[in-house]
Amino acid sequence: MALGGTIRGKKTTLRLPVEADLETYNRWMADIRVRRAHRVWHEPAMPATWKERFKEIAKDKQHVLWSIDAGGSLVGFALGHLWTMGNGFDVNQLVIDPDEWRKGYGFDAALALHRYVFDYLDLRLATFELRADNLAALKIVTKLGHIEFAHGHEVDYRDGAYVDEIKLRMDKETWQERWSAEREYPPLAADATR
Amino acid sequence: MFGPRLDGRNGVALVASTLEHFKLHPVWETQPEVGRFWGPRFGELTQEHQEEHFKKVGADQTQIQWTITYRDEPVGFTGIFDIDWVRRDGESGIFIGRHDLFGRGIASEAIRLRTDFAWRELRLHRVHNWIAHANRGSRRANEKAGYTQMGLFRRSFFRSGEWYDEWLGEAYPHTFPDQR
Repeated sequence: MALGGTIRGKKTTLRLPVEADLETYNRWMADIRVRRAHRVWHEPAMPATWKERFKEIAKDKQHVLWSIDAGGSLVGFALGHLWTMGNGFDVNQLVIDPDEWRKGYGFDAALALHRYVFDYLDLRLATFELRADNLAALKIVTKLGHIEFAHGHEVDYRDGAYVDEIKLRMDKETWQERWSAEREYPPLAADATR
Repeated sequence: MFGPRLDGRNGVALVASTLEHFKLHPVWETQPEVGRFWGPRFGELTQEHQEEHFKKVGADQTQIQWTITYRDEPVGFTGIFDIDWVRRDGESGIFIGRHDLFGRGIASEAIRLRTDFAWRELRLHRVHNWIAHANRGSRRANEKAGYTQMGLFRRSFFRSGEWYDEWLGEAYPHTFPDQR
């Protein structure tokens, strides 16, 4: 139910995750660079535990999981939560392999995902929650058009200290202003429905 | 998990919830007065679901829930949910199901008891919540227990022909009135 299908970006492709991806997910969740940047989706665990988690997310009606490929290799994953009333989408995870950072994959995947949210699903808004010192992620979402709506103090704990959390949102109007040229499909031809 | 009995002022207490209390949920949640600022007023509101829900809440190690009683009658629910024991943070919530008792300070006292428990017994670092901005009574009750605004989520939900904003609050041990 909630494994995402293909969404193509320019550098990356969000695609249906498969069990073979789980070992790499596990490695990322154990990587201190990832853990320092943002919350983990799940703690590192045995392969059998990851399979259980995979089964659970596949059945989950409100969460959607994608693997992210670039150049034919797995470079990340994204997880989002569709609101109960169906008009918003929370991006819970957008993980890029730390060895692949600074190649533009994060922005490209985020842009493709937002295009899907606004241009395809016709949702009203998307949200992110980011650690205040994750400047790379903040730069990506700000460039997309997200604006801060809340600043939580001492929310996350890592490296022996608390760090603040920024909540951001992007509304469909902003998408249309900034990214109206981004479309999943070209406009229908005038005679398409004849 | 269900919380222990906490006796408060003016006849208000928090008590461990029972199945009979949980069976009051559908009755209360579907009242227009109670759902004024939350809830779509539909859902899996069967008695069987309440039994399952009761078992799940009782077994869940990431939440603590209480029934609010007023003069020994159950009148609502409160709790701290999605507790992260590493970050020591949780999301709080409350509703008074007996709308005929609104305005008597029951929520204020329940929030004070719950928040005090979060600091003194659970050793939490932070508690946060979302409240309809127009729900001044609830906002005020939370502010009295040390919650301060950390944000505002505009056009959060739609009710009766207009958009409602939500107020985001957070509280810490040092913001609790008894510990200032």
